[in-house]
Amino acid sequence: MKTELTISTGAIDEVALAKCREMGKGMGAVICFSGVVREIEGDAPITAIDYEAHEQMARHQVGLLFDAVEKRWPVESVRVVHRIGVVPVNESSLWVEMIAPHRAEAFAACQFIIDEMKQKVQIWKKPMST
Amino acid sequence: MKISVKFWSYFRDYTGCAETALELAKGTTLGETHAAVLDEFPKLAGSKNSTLKAVGLEYEDDDFVLSDGDVVSFFPPLQGG
Repeated sequence: MKTELTISTGAIDEVALAKCREMGKGMGAVICFSGVVREIEGDAPITAIDYEAHEQMARHQVGLLFDAVEKRWPVESVRVVHRIGVVPVNESSLWVEMIAPHRAEAFAACQFIIDEMKQKVQIWKKPMST
Repeated sequence: MKISVKFWSYFRDYTGCAETALELAKGTTLGETHAAVLDEFPKLAGSKNSTLKAVGLEYEDDDFVLSDGDVVSFFPPLQGG
C-alpha cells in the first residue's frame, strides 16, 4: 500500500493533489474527504482555527493508522494532508484520499482513518475570533 | 535519574513553560511522575483525568517505569481534523 502524509502550514491545494494521483487499473474507487473550518465553534462565531501538532508523534501515530488500514482493507493508496497553523473559515484543514478496488472498502477505510486521527494523532486546535 | 517533561497545547498556558526537567528516583513510574508534575504545576490538576501521557513517541500507562533520559509528553485531548 502506498502511503503519504503531509503536515504543512500551506493551504491544501486539492486540484494539485488530484493531478498527481496515481492509481492502478484494478482500482474502482477514489474517496476524497476535505475537512473545512466552520464559522461556528461550539456556539461561538470564529474567523479561523490555529492548529498545533506534535509533529514527530503525529507522524508516528499516522504511520500506525496506515498499518491498521493496510491490515483491514485492500487499499492501494492513502494520502493524508493536515494543515497546521492558522486556517481561516471555509478553508480545508484536513484532506484524505483513499484508493481501493471498490467503494465499500474505500469509504470504510476513509471513515476509519479520520475517526482515529481525531482520537490518536497529536494535533490540537485553538479557535480564533476577531 | 533525569527526565524531561514536555507540555503541549493549552497545558503550556497552565504551566507557563513548554518543558521542565525532573530528578527522580530510579524506578519511578509515569503515574508518579504525573503526580510530581501536578505538585509543581497545580493548574494542571483540573485536567488530571483527561491528560494523555506519552514516553518518547508512544502512549504509556501510569504503571510504565521510566528510565534515565526519557522524554515524557503531557497533553490534553486531541482535536485534529
